[in-house]
Parts: sequence; structure tokens; C-alpha cells
Amino acid sequence: MKRLNLKWPLTIVASLLAIFIFVIPLYGATVYSFKGNGGKGHSWVNYQWLIHADGFYPSLFTSLKLAVLAAAFNLILMVPTMVYLNLKGQRFKPLVDFLCILPLIIPVVSLAIGAQVAMPKFLQNTQYELVFFFVIIALPFTYRALDTSLQTVALKTLVEASRSLGASWTRTITRVIVPAIRSGITGALFLTFALSIGEYTITSLLHWETFPTWTVVAAQQNILGAIAISVFSFVGAIALLSAIALFSKRGLQRVEVEE
Amino acid sequence: MSKKDRASSTLELRDVSRHFGSVKALDGLNLTVNPGELVALLGPSGCGKTTALRIVAGLETATSGELLVNGERYNETPANQRDMGMVFQSYSLFPNLTVSENIDYGLRARKIDSEKRAKKVTEMLELVSLASKAKAFPHQLSGGQQQRVALARALAIQPRVLLLDEPLSALDAQVRGQIREEIRRIQLDLGITTLFVTHDQEEAMAISDRVGVMSHGQLEQIDKPIALYNNPATPFVASFVGLANRIPAEITAKGKARVLNQKVDILESAEQFVAGEKVNVIIRPESLELVSESDSDATRGIVALKSFLGPLTKVGIAVEGAPLIHLHISSREVRKLEIGEKIAFKISSDEVMAERA
Repeated sequence: MKRLNLKWPLTIVASLLAIFIFVIPLYGATVYSFKGNGGKGHSWVNYQWLIHADGFYPSLFTSLKLAVLAAAFNLILMVPTMVYLNLKGQRFKPLVDFLCILPLIIPVVSLAIGAQVAMPKFLQNTQYELVFFFVIIALPFTYRALDTSLQTVALKTLVEASRSLGASWTRTITRVIVPAIRSGITGALFLTFALSIGEYTITSLLHWETFPTWTVVAAQQNILGAIAISVFSFVGAIALLSAIALFSKRGLQRVEVEE
Repeated sequence: MSKKDRASSTLELRDVSRHFGSVKALDGLNLTVNPGELVALLGPSGCGKTTALRIVAGLETATSGELLVNGERYNETPANQRDMGMVFQSYSLFPNLTVSENIDYGLRARKIDSEKRAKKVTEMLELVSLASKAKAFPHQLSGGQQQRVALARALAIQPRVLLLDEPLSALDAQVRGQIREEIRRIQLDLGITTLFVTHDQEEAMAISDRVGVMSHGQLEQIDKPIALYNNPATPFVASFVGLANRIPAEITAKGKARVLNQKVDILESAEQFVAGEKVNVIIRPESLELVSESDSDATRGIVALKSFLGPLTKVGIAVEGAPLIHLHISSREVRKLEIGEKIAFKISSDEVMAERA
């Protein structure tokens, strides 16, 4: 029996979904963000309002700072852990797998309150406590990204080769493992950064002001301004992630081989 | 790099055991590799040869026993401080580094200054004839080239002992032969003490000074290849090294057996047999010779198989009451034989090995 060729129908369905879910709302938001006062004409007035709004820069800076810290902390924590699990701690993997899924299962309220109680005293009631929450909520995603990447390389023999050549563990991780799993690390970095910079629930529950919580308050004052914030956030996030991707890719690019 | 550049080391394993739960991967292994010697550990999968190599490399820990290099105990020395150059079956080149950088890796780890490093890398590239591929990445090389880079990388650090873990297994037959000879040439040139693990007896016999045959975590016999082939110490060695016919026989008296209606002398071994006992005798194909059908002492059979092996052809003879018996005949002579043809042969060896059936 001849198999049905579903390539084109699926492509069309996916394209239509993408248009309805992403393109039309984004197009609409962009058009509205340029509406003038009273919704008439086109102007930059909403963006001017945005950049002059109280709390815009401090909240944006706080979010960026916390997202960078969360991404860095997550990698420092997860890369050696995942390498250990894949090299020597295979028997612990199911347990860690389960633990890393918990942030998706536990209600955010319980997580926020429970984790805050367990947080070291010196971090409690400082905005840096959010870094640890961001790391926790990003765990299920970073775990998968790094694990998938580690599964694709011959980790054990690469490590053994490095060690037998006289390299320390630090050198083995930085010079051999990290470059070998760069795609997974970039993925983990993206996910942690994106989740952290957009996190609202925990931040709001703990009464901190970051860019998402500021956005909610600011949006109540100016609806077209709120749309401008959304477009700004979207474009900003895409620009930042593209910059990281570009940076990461450049790191991988090597001198062309002389044959 | 020449022989003068390195002091060849003696490697000793004394009563080394490695247990994984109730499994004894190594069971009291004793082995000495003399300076500049290439010793192969040969054996079937699971015999413990790779475990032994990994213990020497520091990638595995011995449950008991001692590992000595030039008389110095190495059991507790971490892998990165052992100065052992290791070549892996799967090449294990660092994919993000060029050929030069791969060779340079161990030198950098030793914090050698850049000028000396560059000189050593060039020297190693020339040694393995890959100077033109210095800036290539591993994925741009063939399997044989990758393994030569791995060899150069292992040798660049001027290791005390070179460890080869089935380095030819992933290569095709033609390249395998070339690399095998290259390894031996370089090993002899540098005079480096080498431990080579393989399951391929041809490889082991071709390039080793001595071959150790392992079974169930123990060394069955270690000797020069020719001695191992001609004077196997145990039935296992006899059957594992080279092609051997295992034929049912009966002990007729002490040191005598009847096999295929022929009388043969059997070698003394640890096993004692009594008259009338059923045994298996192990006879090499070259110990069987074709004779005239009129010879009354000969065994008769039918040609059942012919496998061309180049100058020799392996002929399988079907004999009633025995498994297919193999013998080697000159390929020129074998042309006269046809499948299904009646044939007669005699056991020419004076002494054969017997094992309990």
C-alpha cells in the first residue's frame, strides 16, 4: 500500500498555527504599540512613555542581573553534576531525574514559601534569593538539555584519554567536556536566562520588583504602553538570545583547515 | 625522539585481582613487561585483559595486588600522574581540537614551554606521517589517520609505558595491517615498554615480543608467539591460539590415545587420564597430512569444504563419528580436490594435547 505523504499537509498546518499563534498577535501588538494618543495615528509616544516611566531601568537591570546570575549559577551547579552522573553516578540518575522534575510538579506557592524557609539566612530577604528560585524552576529544562548533550558524546573515553594524558579534572572539564557539550550548555543557558527574565509568580509572591512585576503594574496605567512593553520585551529577549547564540557559535568556529 | 630520550621502564603486576561484586574480572594476575618489550594480552571477551590494562592506566582500581613501575608502587597514583600513554579502541581524539592541538594536549597539561611543545608536536606528526594534517579536525580524518594521531598523542608525553587497548579493532583489514606494522616500527624505534590488549591472535602474534593468553581473569601462558603456538601449556591455549581440531579420542595407556583409529602420543599435562577414559585431543591443521587411500593406517573421509586463504586452502573433511576436521593444504595442490571426493589423512604430529571430554 502506498504511504501517504504528509510532509506538505503538516508543513501547511504548522505554518498556519505559527501564523495564528505568533505572527498575527505579534503583528497586532506591534501596530498597536505605535498608535498615537487616544489610539489615533502612528507615533513613538508609547515607547517614549516606556523609557521615561518610573522603575523601568531599575527593574530591567534587576531582571537582567538576576537572570545572568541564575544562568551562571545553574551551569556551575549542573555541568559538573551532570558529568559526574553520566560518568560515575549512573545509579543516582533516576533519583536526580525525579528531583529535577519536582519543580514542574510542586505548586509555585508551596515552592516559594518552602524554599524561602530553607534558604540560608544571609540570602533571605535579599533580591538574590530569587536567583535560587530561578535556578530551581529552570532545573527540569537544564537537566534535559545537558543530559541529552552528554549522551551524544563518548564522555567516558574522552575523560579517560584526557586523564591518561596528565590533565587534571578542572582541565578535563574546561578543555574537553565543555567544548564537547557546548550545544547543551548553550541550550541550558538560554532556557535559564529566558525563564529567569520572564519569571513573575514567585517574584510577585515574594514582593520583589523585577521587570515582569513592574510591567504588570505599569500596564495598569497605560494600555498602549503595556503593549509597547510586550513588544519591547519580545524584541529585547530575541536580541539577547541571538547575541548569546552568536557568541557561542563564534567560540566554536575554528581556523579553516588547510588541506 | 629516540631511544636515548627515554628510560624504558619495567612494568610488573603482582597477584593483581579485580572483583566486581561476585565476578572476578582479574584473579591473581602476575605479569612482568621488560624494558622496551611489547607484550600482548590475548584472550576472549571477558577474560580480564582490558581490566588489567585499565588498572595499569589508573582508570580502574585493583581489589588486591601490586602494580609496580621500575619497582615503584603505583597502585595509589592517580591516572593523570602515572605517565602512561594510552591508545583507545575508539581513538578518543578530542573533537574540538585540531590534530596538532590533540598531540599538544598532554604537553600543555605538563606545563612545558611553548617552543618545546611546538617542536615535539612537529616531531610526532612526522613520526606518524601526518604533518600535512596538522590543522585538520578529527572528523576530517580517516579511521587509520585518527588512530595514528591517537598514537602520536600518547607518545608525545614520553610515557613510561605505552598502553594499547585494542587499537586496531575499529579499522578495516587493510588499514589494520598497515597501522599494526607502524605501531611495531615506532615501538622498536623508540624502545618503549608496551602493553597491548587484543582479542585478535594474528595481531598479537605479528607484532609482540611475547604474548600472554588470558582466560577467566588469569594468565594461562605467556611466551614468545612461536613457542605459544608450538608448545601450548594448556588445552585452552592450544585451542585459542591458532586453528585447532578438537577430536574425540580414548586413552589407551599412560601417554597414549586412540583417535580416528590412529595411535597418538599425548603430551603430559596437569590432568591425569586413565586407560579407557574418553578425552578430546587437540590437533592443529598442519599436523594432519593427506596420504594415499591405500594406506591402511589412514583415516578416511569426504571433502566437505574448501576455504581459499591465499597460499593455503583450509579443507574440511567429514569423518564418521567426528566433527568436521580441518587441515591446510597448498592452494596449488587443492585444485585437484573436489567437494564430495574421498580422501585419506594421517596424524603426523608425534604429540598432541588432550583434555577431559
